[in-house]
Formats: sequence, structure tokens, C-alpha cells
Amino acid sequence: IIFSFGEFLAVTWNSSDNVVLFNFSAPSPTSAVPYVSIKCIDVRKNHHKTKWLVPWGPNQCEKIKDFDEAVSRQIEANDIVFAVHIPLPPNEMSPWFQFMLFILQLDIAFKMHNVIQDNAEITLDVSLAYRDDMSSEWKEMAHAIETRKLKCAFHSPKTPESEGRYYDCDLLPFMEIGSVAHKFYLINIRLPVNERKKINLGIGEIKDIRLVGIHQNGGFTKVWFAMKTFLTPSILIIMIWYWRRIKMMTRAPVLLEKVIFALGISMTFINIPVEWFSIGFDWTWMLLFGDIRQGIFYAMLLSFWIIFCGEHMMDQNERNRLSGYWKQVGPIAVGSFCLFIFDMCERGVQLKNPFYSIWTTDVGTELAMAFIIVAGICLCLYFLFLCFMVFQVFRNISGKQSSLPAMSKARRLHYEGLIFRFKFLMLITLACAAMTVIFFIVSQVTEGHWKWGDLTIQANSAFFTGIYGMWNLYVFALMFLYAPSHKNYGEDQSNGKTGLSGYFEIVACTKKSKMGGENIGHKPGSEISHVFPAEHTDLVENNM
Amino acid sequence: QKQRCHGAGCPDISAAAVRDELGGEGARNGPSRSATGWCVPALLVLLRLRRRLLALSSVGSISEEETCEKLKGLIQRQVQMCKRNLEVMDSVRRGAQLAIEECQFQFRSRRWNCSTLDALPVFGKVVTQGTREAAFVYAISSAGVAFAVTRACSSGELDKCGCDRTVHARGERGGESFQWSGCSDNIAYGVAFSQSFVDVRERSKGASSNRALMNLHNNEAGRKAILNNMRVECKCHGVSGSCEFKTCWKAMPPFRKVGNVLKEKFDGATEVEQSEIGSTKVLVPKNSQFKPHTDEDLVYLDSSPDFCDHDLKNGVLGTSGRQCNKTSKAIDGCELMCCGRGFHTDEVEVVERCSCKFHWCCFVKCKQCHRVVEMHTCR
Repeated sequence: IIFSFGEFLAVTWNSSDNVVLFNFSAPSPTSAVPYVSIKCIDVRKNHHKTKWLVPWGPNQCEKIKDFDEAVSRQIEANDIVFAVHIPLPPNEMSPWFQFMLFILQLDIAFKMHNVIQDNAEITLDVSLAYRDDMSSEWKEMAHAIETRKLKCAFHSPKTPESEGRYYDCDLLPFMEIGSVAHKFYLINIRLPVNERKKINLGIGEIKDIRLVGIHQNGGFTKVWFAMKTFLTPSILIIMIWYWRRIKMMTRAPVLLEKVIFALGISMTFINIPVEWFSIGFDWTWMLLFGDIRQGIFYAMLLSFWIIFCGEHMMDQNERNRLSGYWKQVGPIAVGSFCLFIFDMCERGVQLKNPFYSIWTTDVGTELAMAFIIVAGICLCLYFLFLCFMVFQVFRNISGKQSSLPAMSKARRLHYEGLIFRFKFLMLITLACAAMTVIFFIVSQVTEGHWKWGDLTIQANSAFFTGIYGMWNLYVFALMFLYAPSHKNYGEDQSNGKTGLSGYFEIVACTKKSKMGGENIGHKPGSEISHVFPAEHTDLVENNM
Repeated sequence: QKQRCHGAGCPDISAAAVRDELGGEGARNGPSRSATGWCVPALLVLLRLRRRLLALSSVGSISEEETCEKLKGLIQRQVQMCKRNLEVMDSVRRGAQLAIEECQFQFRSRRWNCSTLDALPVFGKVVTQGTREAAFVYAISSAGVAFAVTRACSSGELDKCGCDRTVHARGERGGESFQWSGCSDNIAYGVAFSQSFVDVRERSKGASSNRALMNLHNNEAGRKAILNNMRVECKCHGVSGSCEFKTCWKAMPPFRKVGNVLKEKFDGATEVEQSEIGSTKVLVPKNSQFKPHTDEDLVYLDSSPDFCDHDLKNGVLGTSGRQCNKTSKAIDGCELMCCGRGFHTDEVEVVERCSCKFHWCCFVKCKQCHRVVEMHTCR
């Protein structure tokens, strides 16, 4: 045991070491690029020849520096187009960026006579175009008329003295695209005014429109892909090995084994680097797909914990069926379903209209909040159940431990095995969870990079790759350590306990044993599973 | 009509008047501008910032190298920089403009109201002495340049910003480093440009004289006023928009905020004198009981004049003709503003805009309201 445990630690150590080494070269996961829109004048009145107004470069639009100039030139609000070219001059966008999301910020100056009215809404006529070289024509990608609520506060006294100060406005979600297939993008924003329909009235004096574009860094994507490509076969191989072990058993796999296998599948599902396709194809649904994959994995992991606890309860209740866990697994299912629906409403609709956001309308906000609250309640419920179950297991453990010395050897070994197994998993699970939480908090609190002398470490990308690698290792270790032993088959005859072993096997099958280990081994230390040998003895004893 | 006022005697009205021309029946006549040189033709403003620092004509853009030679007030090194960075020069000018406007806003109700002259030096001799006012002007203009250049970077008007980081560069071209790890903040470029363009005046003199040290310090304090007030903003974008992934960035404060910060620093500026520590010359507080100034504080060498009397030789316009507030006990009150000379009180009929209809840009439709107000003007 000590040997294999040591080996396991060594593996962990090595791989986390690798992860850190890996990150010396990895850049931060995402970049935020600030853009200030250029105010173009749409000089054409009715003809649709040059529809796209480009802020700089060849064929750039006619610009104004500020709106005082527009006033003196008698330009109307409807003729002003805010143009943003993505990216900034010498650069090109790349498919390695994976996604782009944009945030809208309005600079609105305070004027005594032109304040932002309560519940003001701004209506934006937005269009997005792309092209792949500087000389070709812009092609439209999306066009929409969107409204956003202005949530602005003014922290100075509203006196003539404060005129010209800016309101402090909330960031507005603007656009989300799940793939970056083109080199250049162009955003044109108009703020049409219509007095009759009361559109864009009472929104204050807008001075500037700024955008912030967030995308994943190409370098990080490459490191991430490399990691996934490396992890996929490792998990896949251990999964196949694990399933073969189970198939070699004469009995049907028990629930816990199935759940571990399912966890392996969901991990592989996340691991499989389908993102490579996004380099060649314009698959905007990749963001949504990634969400779904992650959701499935989380649901699987949570279910696994519950079932693992349940199967180690060491009471006489019959479980080994998923339906026995409906109370605990139900909230997971409901919660994940809610989040799935929410995600479909947000990112699903964004496939059609990248400017859409569920949070912009009252009904949408309420709906989204409802989904999230239900999911939150489900999660709380789940954790209550989980904590309760862990508590029960520990209570049972302490009960059993006091009676251990009085038991027969086989039975004692069985219980010791169960207890060790449970405590071991408890330990590594807690360690993994604690690491995740700590890194998460650290990454939220710090600025995302640490400096040691000349060396800057991108803590955030270390965090993501590290945590991702850690959970992969967790699943790997689960399958590796909790696979049933194959040895008892070959050894049955030579064992001397043959008859007994066979009998146990039958009992185990008919009783639907509570745990996965079916091992009657006699080489302690060669494999972890050998420490759980005597379950059947226990059953037999209970039966007798 | 197209004149802008720089005195407190004519606030806001000229801009309003221009706007109202378009808006229909608007107020046209504010109180007439005083004739004492408070107002400078705005659209033809020859922005000359500080003593021979920036003399960038706002007519036409700076697009040819010859223009650099024609700009008055630049030293040779700056002309060279101008030629090398033609595209940036428009932003430099905008920064200077910003700085002047902000200075005039912050000092609108003080005896010295940051008025500019139509001659060099623009701010008059006040700024050539090492006064508090000079400290403020230096700080705000170096901040203005950094601010405007940074903004121009973000709007895509400049090619050279941000992305030529050398430390993390993966490829030769800027584009590749952008694709690998993104660009550094534009503010870094703006500040660096302001440092090299604005500070070169002092550095070229050999940064050992009091004034050079003071100016360099205040220039830096101006840039720090931006850097230390950057707002950190974040966006969550994990699964379903959760905070599993979070990206933060730094946003520049509005320039008004920079102005406010510097005005506070102006009020608490430290009087310093030169002292030698080892072989390097440094500025230390004159009164050793005061705590030493930080990088962000403004420092000055000479005390300011009272700015009461018209003294063109020293570039002081005096406060006679300035409007004052009868009820205030502060510096904008008639007592202090007029330096005890007393004041006239006139009843003026002001045509004001009222019940206006606004669009977010460019359109105002107002009724005219007539109102009689008492105006107090310093003798």
C-alpha cells in the first residue's frame, strides 16, 4: 500500500511539476483590449453604396473629433455612426482567440438641463461586418436593433459646478461570438433618435462610446490544446483498461463502478480536443458546446460523490441502483437542467444574434434569475445531502471501529478496507477541492500575475491548467485505484480458499454487493484494491 | 460669435450660443465679454502651452515634417521627435488643448484663472517662475499628453502603441506577439510618450537646476495622477457567464477626475528647495517639519504673487473686471477676488434657455426665458 501510495504521490508531484514548468511560457488566459469608437458622419443620405464606415486606414470615414464640431456643422444625431475596427492597427485577429466578447461603456456627461432620466433605455442600431484582407469589401455578419438599460450613478452634487463630469455607468454586455474565423471585424453603432416613438430620449449627453474586447490569448489556447491532446489518450487508455477489468469479472458491474466509468467518459468528453476544428471551421457553437461539456462533467462528479458515500454507508440498506439516490441526484439533474436552459437562452440565442443578452429585458432578467436561483437552491440542497451522508458514514465508521477488535479477521479486514477506501477518497477529494477553491480565490484577488525578479508567472493560466490537470489526475487515480482486481480469477484454484471465494462471488452477485471491490487477493501491497478483500466474508457472516 | 471665453466673466455662454444657433430660438446674448483680454479666439486658438512648449496650430493637421519646423516653442530635440512621430502629434495637441481646458475649469473661480495669452509664453510669466501655478500647469499638461495619446491608441489612430512589448514578444512582428499573448496596456505607451516628449525639455538642459528638477517632478506627478487613478473593471465569462473565468482591465479615469486630483495636489503642494545628497541634487521640503513629498505630490520653489493687479510685464492680468460672488466668503467671493478694491453691481437681463428638449447629440430646442440677475464685477 505504502509503495503504491508513494507511487501515486510521485505521479501527482511529477505532473503538477510539469504543469508549473509548462506555465512559465504560457501567457495569461485572456486579453482585454480597450477600444474607443471613432465618430463618423454618414454623409450619404439615401444611397446604399458605402454602407460600412471604417474608422481608419484606407477609405476611412469622415470623422468628427467631438460633438461641438457636429453642432457647428449642423450634423444630426441620426447621421453619426460610432465605428470600431477590430483589432487595432498593426494586428490581425486569429482563430486561436476562440471567442470574442465585447462590453459597451458609455461616457455620458452631466448637464443640468439634460440629465439621464430614470429607467432610461438606450437603443442601439448595431451591425457587424468582417473581411479577411485589408482591400476586400466588408461582408455583413449580423445586424440588430438592441436596447440596453442605462444604469448610471452620479456621485457629485447635481449642481452647475459639476457639469462636464461623467456619470458612473454600469458595463453593458454588447456582443459575444463563439469563434474568431476572420481577420478583421468592423462594428458600426448608431443611436437613432425618434421623438414620436420616444427612442433615445433622455439618455443624457453622450460624449463617447467605448468598447472592451475580451478574447482568449492565442498562446494560452495553444498550451491548452496541447494539454488536452496529451490528456485525452491518458484518460482514454485508463478508461479502457478499467472497463476491461470490470468485463473480466464474472458478475455484472456494480453501480459505483458504472459511475466511475461514466465520470471517465465525461472527463474524456471534455478532454477530446474538438477545439482543433475551430481553427479551420467557423463553428460559433463551440462556446455553447464547451459549456455543455463542462456541465455534464460537473453533474457527473457531484453524482459520483453522492454515490460513493452511499455505497460506503456500511448499513444494511440495499442501494446499488441509481433510483435509490433519486433524492440526492434529483437536485443535480434539476440544477443542471436549469443551467442548461439558461445557457441555451443566452448563448444559444447568441448563435443567431451575437448582440443578444438575456439580461437586457425585465422578463429576461427575471427568467434568468429564476433559473439561476433554482439551480442555486438545488446545489445547496445537494450539499446538504452530501454533508449529511458524509456525516452518516463517519458515524457508522466510528461505530464500526469500536467493534473492530471483536470481529473475526476477515470481517475486520473488510471493514478496515472500507474505512481506508472511504477516508482515502475523502482526503484526496478534499485536497483537490481545497486546491481549487484556494487557487480560485487567489486568482480572483490578485492581479493575475506574480513577479519574482525578472520572472513573471501568469498565475491565472497556471491556475487553469493546474486545476484542469489536477481533476484529470483525480479521475485517472479513481479509475486506477478503484478498478477491481483481476487476480482472483487466476488465483482462485491455487488459493486454497477456492470454494469459499466462489461462494462469496455468488453471494455478492445475488446480494448486489455494496462495493466495487471483489478481490480476494493474497499479495498485499501489490495493489490498492487488495486491501479490501473480505466483503463477502462480511456478507456471509451477516447472512449466517 | 465663434469666440471662446477664458475668463470667469463669460462662462459656458459662447458654447451655448453656438448650439442655440442650431436649436432655434435660443439665448444669444450672454453678458458681453470683458475687453481685458480674457477671451481668445477659440477656433483659431494657437495653442501654446507653457513656455514655448507646444505651439501647435490647430488649423489643419500635422501631417508633414515641415510643419514640425514651423511649430513655435519646440526645442530641437522635440522637433526631431515630432518628425519621427508625426501621427502622434495631433494627439499631443489635443492633449495640450485638454490640459488648458481642464486648467481653466479647475481655476475658474480663483484669482489666477489659467487664462492664456495670445503670445508666448501662453500662460504668462507666472508659469516661468517656479510657482504653485507653474507646478499645476506642468503636471496637467504632461497628464494631458499622456491621456490624449492613450486615447488615440485605443481608437486605432496610432500604429505604434502597446503591441511592441519586447519582454513577452514571441515573434518579430507585433501581430504575432498580439496573437500569442495580447498587447500591453495603451496607457504604458501614452505615459512613455509623454515622458520622452515632455520631459526632454528639462533633460536636455541637464537635469540639475532647481527648475528642471521641479518640472520633472511635476510632470511625473501629472502622469501619476492618471496611473494611480486607473479604474479596474472586470467581466465574468465562465460557464453560463459565471465568474469561473474573469478578465480584468484597467480603464483610464475621465480627464475631469485627473484635473480634480491635481487640483487637490495643488492645494497641498509642498514648497521645496534644493539639497545635495551625495553627488545627486534632490528637492527637499523647505520646512523640515513637513513630511517629505511623494511622487504624486506637486512641488514648487517660489511663492506666488497675489494676482491682484494688472501687470502685463509679469503676465498677470489682474482681477479687475472679473465676476465675483457676493455671498461667498471663499476665494470666489467679492471680498477676496477683488483684492479689497470693491465691486460694481449691475442688473443685467439674461436670456436663458429653459424647458429645453435635448437629443443625445447636437440638438437642443429651447424656449427663451428672460431673467434679471445681479452681476458683481470687480473694480
